[in-house]
Amino acid sequence: MLLRHEGFRKLCEARDRLRDVADEGDTIEAIAASVGISPFHFIRQFEAVFGVTPHQYRIEARLALARDLLAGGGDSVTDVCMAVGFSSLGSFSALFTRRVGESPSVFRRRMRHAPAGDPGSALSRQPGCFSLIAALPSDRSFREASVET
Amino acid sequence: MRIVLTSVMVDDQQKALDFYTTVLGFLPKHDIPVGEYRWITVTSPEGPPDVELALEPNANPAGQAFQDAMFTQGIPIAAFEVDDIAAETARLSAQGVVFTRPPTPAGPVIMAIFADTCGNLIQMHQRAR
Repeated sequence: MLLRHEGFRKLCEARDRLRDVADEGDTIEAIAASVGISPFHFIRQFEAVFGVTPHQYRIEARLALARDLLAGGGDSVTDVCMAVGFSSLGSFSALFTRRVGESPSVFRRRMRHAPAGDPGSALSRQPGCFSLIAALPSDRSFREASVET
Repeated sequence: MRIVLTSVMVDDQQKALDFYTTVLGFLPKHDIPVGEYRWITVTSPEGPPDVELALEPNANPAGQAFQDAMFTQGIPIAAFEVDDIAAETARLSAQGVVFTRPPTPAGPVIMAIFADTCGNLIQMHQRAR
């Protein structure tokens, strides 16, 4: 599939709207219509470019923000649930648990109590080469790791 | 001093590993758990085995902003060389890869740009003969 500049720009615009978590957001159909693509082609093109469907993308964006807010420790689970565009605490908790592997409250508690420098601490949740390397066991370098494999 | 490692930031490491190995054809090299994330590198079956590409999580907001801006502006974040760009374009297209630029002559190279499904545009080029 070849996407011309205009089509590509529209997909980027739609992606930005999907990431907007201010409220429950527009339906996928409405977002497709707003960038002038039929819902069918929108979902198909979006998945081909971003690797996930628009719906999955929106869910993932919201959960990523939820993880950041929970890791910060300042907001309650209910506040975070509302802040990332869910209206039901039950469905937010269920979805979070399914995708992240632990409930929002357990995740929040674990992040808050993780000491700085621990791989689970809020600080190391923002990776980059340096933090990743720093989080490796001190007796293990990448050179050694490469010898093992 | 040698260059043995470079990296691309990806929005989902598992999705990236699948795309860079299954679709592009790179070989998995390292996959080490690091806290919530993984240290994942791949190598090229056609290149030196000690030159690695790391698939780094883009959880850092600064990284996300950079990645988004480059993507939205249509700017590729990495470039890979191929022997036959027409054949590679056909191979990738058949697997559903989306190109934002078809193979296009650009001076000393012929280049094409495609989306890696992980938030990046990747350039592929063939040296013009």
